[in-house]
Amino acid sequence: MSATESQPDASYLLRKLHSLTGILPVGAFLAEHFWSNSAALVSADKYNQTSAELQTIPFRIFVEWAFIFLPMLFHGGYGVWIWLRGKSNVSQYPWVKNWLYTAQRYTGLIAFVYIGWHLYTERFLTQGRSTYASVEQDLQNPLFLTFFAIGILASSFHLGVGIWNFLCKWGLAATVRAQRAAGQLGVLVGVTFSVVGILILISFRFDWHPFASYINK
Amino acid sequence: MAEAAAGKKVIVKVKRQATPKEAAHWEEFALNWRPSMNVIICLRDIAENPVTSDGKPTTPITYDSNCLEEICGSCAMLINGRARMACSALVDSLEQPIRIEPLTKFPVVRDLSVDRQFMFESLKRVKAWIPIDGTYDLGEGPRMSPEVQEKGYPLSNCITCGNCLEVCPQVNDHNGFMGAAIFSQVRLFNMHPTGKMHAAERLKAAMGHGGIEDCANAQNCVKACPKGIPLTESLAEVNREAWRQALFGWLVG
Amino acid sequence: MKQPKIIVVGGGLAGLMATIRVAESGVPVELFSIVPVKRSHSVCAQGGINAAKNQKGEGDSIAKHFDDTIFGGDFLANQTLVGRMCEAAPGIIDLLDRMGVMFNRTPEGLLDYRRFGGTLYHRTAFAGATTGQQLLYALDEQVRRHESEGRVKKYEGWTFLSAVIDDGGVCRGICSMNLHSMEVQTFVADAVIFCTGGIGAIFGRSTNSVVCTGSAQSALFQQGVDYANGEFIQVHPTAIPGEDKLRLMSESARGEGGRVWVPKTPGDKRAARSIPEAERFYFLEEWYPKYGNLVPRDIATRAIHRIVYEEKLGIDGQAAVYLDVTHIPVETLNHKLEGILEIYEKFIGVDPRKEPMKVFPAMHYTMGGMWVNAEDQGTNIPGIYAAGECEYQYHGANRLGANSLVSCIFGGGIAGPAAVKYAKSLTTGAAAAPSMVFERERQRQEEMNQALLSGTGGENPITIWKELGEIMTEHVTVTRINKNLELAYGKIGELTQRYKKINLSDRTKWSNQTLNFARELGNMLVLARVVTMGAYQRNESRGAHYKPEFPERDDYNFLKTTRAKWLNGDIQLTYETVDTSHIAPRARRYDAAK
Repeated sequence: MSATESQPDASYLLRKLHSLTGILPVGAFLAEHFWSNSAALVSADKYNQTSAELQTIPFRIFVEWAFIFLPMLFHGGYGVWIWLRGKSNVSQYPWVKNWLYTAQRYTGLIAFVYIGWHLYTERFLTQGRSTYASVEQDLQNPLFLTFFAIGILASSFHLGVGIWNFLCKWGLAATVRAQRAAGQLGVLVGVTFSVVGILILISFRFDWHPFASYINK
Repeated sequence: MAEAAAGKKVIVKVKRQATPKEAAHWEEFALNWRPSMNVIICLRDIAENPVTSDGKPTTPITYDSNCLEEICGSCAMLINGRARMACSALVDSLEQPIRIEPLTKFPVVRDLSVDRQFMFESLKRVKAWIPIDGTYDLGEGPRMSPEVQEKGYPLSNCITCGNCLEVCPQVNDHNGFMGAAIFSQVRLFNMHPTGKMHAAERLKAAMGHGGIEDCANAQNCVKACPKGIPLTESLAEVNREAWRQALFGWLVG
Repeated sequence: MKQPKIIVVGGGLAGLMATIRVAESGVPVELFSIVPVKRSHSVCAQGGINAAKNQKGEGDSIAKHFDDTIFGGDFLANQTLVGRMCEAAPGIIDLLDRMGVMFNRTPEGLLDYRRFGGTLYHRTAFAGATTGQQLLYALDEQVRRHESEGRVKKYEGWTFLSAVIDDGGVCRGICSMNLHSMEVQTFVADAVIFCTGGIGAIFGRSTNSVVCTGSAQSALFQQGVDYANGEFIQVHPTAIPGEDKLRLMSESARGEGGRVWVPKTPGDKRAARSIPEAERFYFLEEWYPKYGNLVPRDIATRAIHRIVYEEKLGIDGQAAVYLDVTHIPVETLNHKLEGILEIYEKFIGVDPRKEPMKVFPAMHYTMGGMWVNAEDQGTNIPGIYAAGECEYQYHGANRLGANSLVSCIFGGGIAGPAAVKYAKSLTTGAAAAPSMVFERERQRQEEMNQALLSGTGGENPITIWKELGEIMTEHVTVTRINKNLELAYGKIGELTQRYKKINLSDRTKWSNQTLNFARELGNMLVLARVVTMGAYQRNESRGAHYKPEFPERDDYNFLKTTRAKWLNGDIQLTYETVDTSHIAPRARRYDAAK
């Protein structure tokens, strides 16, 4: 008889945590990261200055591990576990949201690998002292550039879909109408992050600073 | 008979499996086309004359069916790769050859017949009922606003056909996910004035093994539901109730 | 004695209600059903369930519900129990409401009621246009609760083959076949309640579900359970024709204002909507001004037959009339009739909100069924009870719309406790019956299977079934003519001979639906004879039974229950007096006030 008393199990809490960490802190960090890197759009100096400021925040190691590295490791690692428990059927049912479901898994993995590599090259190899010049140099390598672009697009997509998923899955967007609005929000976030991310890349690669005029004032 | 034989044919390919343990194989049939044919009529034609298109005698096809008006939930199967009800699958709207297979998320009994007991067991787990004191006369039921009725009625139309499980990427061998239909029932009973009193029990079950967290929002369920039940709304609603229960349940008891 | 055990066969409304009542009394109950009970034919009931709650202030009362039911049934129903049913109906609605049925509501939060055929009152509670489904689910959920708490054991995917009857003529259990393993097994029970539904399959195509073959009641008839009023077959006036099934278009379409009409000009080829009002013939409204489109089903069906076959006014010369709801606001339609309109749209591909539906009468319901006593649903064999459509008790010569759901729940509700009471009164229970009684029944059934599996003749069961359906539909439904009935009876005899030579295209021993169907077909042929013979011998017209040769009701000779008995392979009809102790028979007319 299966009528045993059912209780919330650990996987419920882990799944909830996975969903939450995707937005907070991982999504929020991504926003902060894109924001601070946008400094490159102003000037190399502005970028280096922003970078230096970030490197000098109090409790930096603690903040980095507690709010960035560990949540990201958990979100990525548990995400892979979730992937293994699903079985995509998008070839049989090629519906938009089913495509998003499958794409969310691949972009998540790409983003995870990319972020790992990105951290390694820009945070650990440089001991957290990456400068405009070092990034600029890295991006002269076409392979690096491509990988950066893919990583940015995958992360942006994953965050956009993730926001939609989050709002549906926490019941914050429950009605069909609300879910449509949540989807539009997701698209907006995904597209905005993609555009900003690519602009930042262009800035580094071509030494292009569209907001340089701000400084002259 | 001669003109019927010369007339239009319907080519049907059926995936056959004699017992749960035997390997599956395909058989093809050429049937006489008639207006407003559906897949059930095709299967009946085969039963009356079980001969494959290359003239080989075979057995009639075992399949589940009952009401033939899409309300009993029996005849769900894969038709041209999609989960749907055979009775409402009109031949003229299908690409030929029509491929018919059993649902893949449930154990095959024979041919197109599958065992969907899992869903009924899941309904037990989430206590999908109103726990009345007894059938003796206890007067009228609770008042209910038309608004609640209008929300609840579509949910109570669920025919337990299993299509929403079949199309869900999260329902598979590695996963005990109970599927959208079950959580929609949780929502139904939790919205009823009496059912509400026992909402916490159902939510606990919804947070247990195979529970609502295994939903990954692919939203195939709502597209495949033959009754147009707002399953994704139900999932979202139950999700919200569930985390509130998990977070605050211990505070308010 | 030790704890008794009850078996219920059939998991529709009546069977589930009986199961709940037995489980509630603390007696273990085993529930057998061919299909998972949630897929039983009760799901197909659409319009609603009757109870005189007088919630619209029209002065409705239990007495009026009682009178409408008896009058509608042309005085052939035994009145005492019908009266009790009408009294119980409001309580049944309350119970269903408490179980969580999503009945439609008024702004005050009370149940809404609609009008149905054969009454002038808003007496029918409804849940959209899928009331049967909603009611079945409510009971199914209660049974599932009892099941999960260990009081009910379900045997879904088992078909009933026969009762186990001991040498004293007492039922001691059942013999049943697992539809997967095809294994034949006997089960001990002190009492068995049969709720095995309708017999649509003997008419080939009908509004009934696939499992409604009447096989169980026929098997019991051949074991000595009498069968009453078999000739009373309700033909529903409005169904959507189809090759596999005649899909019901509920009376609620008319209850909500739907109108039946045909073009006044024979063979008018114009699209329905382009035919002006003045050129439409609303024949029901014209012929029956008081009840209009809501005359009882037998009257509406015959009117449609007259329009099509005598007046030759069928749409474009076909056997069809319009059922029109296009004048009703779309919001009302979606709110109150969505389920049934969707069926039309899905299976015909036309939106009935925009185009009038094309409908035609179809076999729908059997008023007749296993004979039961007027107290507690017991049959003439001790230990065998019957409830729901498979028994004959409540609807006389014609059933009123929305009365079937109430009769199922009421009948099941009294059969349960009656079976328990009987079982507890036994001095020696079924468990003490000699095992030989069970073994010989099992062997008899195994032998029948073997005979069918090894048959080498040239006959195909589906072909025989189709022919049976054609004969029955042509001669034994709306209009009955003695010479045709004789012909039909003879043809059923021929089919019975051919049946002995059937050759199964599937001889395997796993999930063999062909074998099961062949068994059911054998039983259908017997029941078809009972129905035809009953119709032949009843030389009058009453309710659904209409004989142009005898157009009047003949109370002197036929205010009687037909009771068929099986005597060594022969059917014998006897006639019993009807209980008319509450309402004196009067002429049944719907063209003027009663």
